[in-house]
Amino acid sequence: MDHLERYRSIIPDYDGFLDILAMPLPTTARINTLKTDRSCLLDRLDRAYVAYTCLEWYPLGLRLGVERPGKMIEHVLGHIHIQEEVSMIPSIVLDPRPGDRVLDLCGAPGSKTTQISQATENRGLIIANEPSLARITSLRSNCERLGAVNVAITRYDGRRFPQQQFDRVLVDAPCSSEGMARKDPKVLGRCSLKRSFDLQVLQIGLLKRAVQLTRSGGIIVYSTCTYAPEENEAVVDDVLRQSQDTVCLEKASVQGLKGCSGLTEWNGTEFCDELKHCVRYYPHQNDTGGFFVARLVKR
Amino acid sequence: MSPGWSKDRNAFELEDRSKIARLWQERFGIPMQVFDCFCFYRRAQNVWAFSDMALPKLRYEAIGLRMMNFKEEHWKPTSCALQVFGRHATKNVVHLPSEQSRIFFAGKSQVLEAKVEPGYVVVFYNGDVLGCGLYSHGTLVSQLPKESRIIGDAEMDI
Repeated sequence: MDHLERYRSIIPDYDGFLDILAMPLPTTARINTLKTDRSCLLDRLDRAYVAYTCLEWYPLGLRLGVERPGKMIEHVLGHIHIQEEVSMIPSIVLDPRPGDRVLDLCGAPGSKTTQISQATENRGLIIANEPSLARITSLRSNCERLGAVNVAITRYDGRRFPQQQFDRVLVDAPCSSEGMARKDPKVLGRCSLKRSFDLQVLQIGLLKRAVQLTRSGGIIVYSTCTYAPEENEAVVDDVLRQSQDTVCLEKASVQGLKGCSGLTEWNGTEFCDELKHCVRYYPHQNDTGGFFVARLVKR
Repeated sequence: MSPGWSKDRNAFELEDRSKIARLWQERFGIPMQVFDCFCFYRRAQNVWAFSDMALPKLRYEAIGLRMMNFKEEHWKPTSCALQVFGRHATKNVVHLPSEQSRIFFAGKSQVLEAKVEPGYVVVFYNGDVLGCGLYSHGTLVSQLPKESRIIGDAEMDI
């Protein structure tokens, strides 16, 4: 927990934040509309006496009172996908439509890819990229289980993805994962400022490439599951400054979810004023993990 | 356009839609028009189903979902493809009651009387397609891949 002390000044109710980190993360799932619909699925859970509550901010999100959700027939048949609540945010902020050409630059294990697929109603083209062969296995099996037939998988280094033009690009970047501490407290042991700076180089490379791959008027969403401003605002700020006004930020907030505005200053470094449109989600605000989301528009 | 490079042994080649649709119609009675909005790609012995969209020229690891694989004259549907297309099946279909579906989910074989032709069948439980089974000589052998199995009856809630 010592590592998180550096965020005391930016996290509201820091003690409440620390308290919730000691509590287990609720089990949440997304209804997969590629294979079922909301009312059928809820009927099914009712008939099987499965304890659940619906997420207020997202009609397809559920909290499950189930110990081993991976054993549920609904999961095995791909009617639901076990997915952390805040991890449902970036695909919603990306807001893909049927017929769109979408690139998910860091696709595995496919939670967001398949959420994009269901938003496009299996129409349109989704390229899910993942450089690691081992992680492609989980990406593939999730796409197949969930019946996502408009997803094609590539294995490039995202920073050098071949030139194409997409309507929307998601960069759910590799990060230090501080926001996953409720799920796995060991992640904090691997976090350090040096690691954040190392990741920052990769993250800037990925986001820069994503901007180049987006058509004029297209949307780019950048997200991480970490608090470190070095991996969040600093990355977006760097790309904004280098883009010479070809990119601007739009509000990334989601109605019904509590979040904090992105930082415009950190440790004496000033960021562009636009960074306030990004959103930081802290675990004690919505009883979730931690997350960061930015929505960029290419002019 | 066929993605990948033609000299690449691992390239996906566009497959004739009507050829694939006819095979599925013959075996499972699935109307050919069910496949109208899809295209099919072949790589080695596998055929993949993809929504009918032009693919940019990239090097692909996978395209859509694995539909079937060919071994010489025979072909085998994948469970994930049956979960998508199998609900339209009108023949070579087996409906399992609760207890038998547990056995099927565990990936096991069971003796069963079914009015189907020997070979691969679409296995249903309670209106859902569970996946692919192999029926021969009065025995149904579950073809569910390991990651789709649920082992341990007590833990399974169906």
